[in-house]
Amino acid sequence: MESGRAEERSLVIAAQAGNNEAFASLVKLHQRRAYAVCRAIVLTHEDAEDAVQDGFLHAYKALGRFLPDQPFGAWLYRIMANASLDLVRRRKVRDADELPDTIALPFRDPGEADELRRRLQQALATLGERQRAVIVLHDIEGFTHGEIGGMLGIPEGTARSDLHHARAALRKLLQNIRTPDEDTRE
Amino acid sequence: MTDLKFPAGDDEMTGALRGLYAAPAGHAYWNELESRIMSRVAEVELGWWTELDRWLKPALVAAALLVITAGVAMFRAQESDRLSAYDELFAPTPVPGAPVEASAIQRSTAEPRDNALRFIISK
Repeated sequence: MESGRAEERSLVIAAQAGNNEAFASLVKLHQRRAYAVCRAIVLTHEDAEDAVQDGFLHAYKALGRFLPDQPFGAWLYRIMANASLDLVRRRKVRDADELPDTIALPFRDPGEADELRRRLQQALATLGERQRAVIVLHDIEGFTHGEIGGMLGIPEGTARSDLHHARAALRKLLQNIRTPDEDTRE
Repeated sequence: MTDLKFPAGDDEMTGALRGLYAAPAGHAYWNELESRIMSRVAEVELGWWTELDRWLKPALVAAALLVITAGVAMFRAQESDRLSAYDELFAPTPVPGAPVEASAIQRSTAEPRDNALRFIISK
């Protein structure tokens, strides 16, 4: 792990000196995790792709200001989170009229395989981007509260309480899917 | 502490959530994304502002050195002016008709001919 950190540090220093191959190696190392961070915040795969590209571009431009002794991943993922939040804000402005329709779809019987996924997607869309990010980054990607706080620029305690509220909200939103199953069991 | 887990004990729901957020699999996808990112990085590098950004630090250092050098030069010039003004203040002023010493004549460079004449008259 220590050798990996040292290798990453040397790549960062080389990239700061203008070596694009070194930057490409950093992209290769971090792009999957970066995608996961972006995907947790934005609503679609396409937006996550855009945010990842924007994020790496911002990181490349700001590389001169990065101190190589700091953990590169934490710095990069914060940039990714900011790029994603920017994208979400831009989308909100653009899709202001469309969003309420996608959320307020009528309830359907969750017999189909995709129904749960669809409802889950809708429920996640009703959460704020920060709550959505916290729940996905913690429960799916396995980031700690501290790491999530660092990425989103919030205190660890706030990340913890956001997670609690997000879970509660999601559970409430999905209750109408779960109830029919429970009824048939009884 | 009991952690309010979402979704409580529901593997199907967790699976759906994981499926929803699953990253694309396969090296081809990631290689393609990497090349897209790097082509955007290359585009940025072509911009003049990047070159400007790269030269910003050396330019700031050069400007700082220039300011320091100019400051030192100005200080030295002022110091030299001050010293010569001090010398002029305490230099003996020649009185018309009074005997003038040879050393005083040597000091004065402004009116050498007048000084020479005064010296001859005083003899």
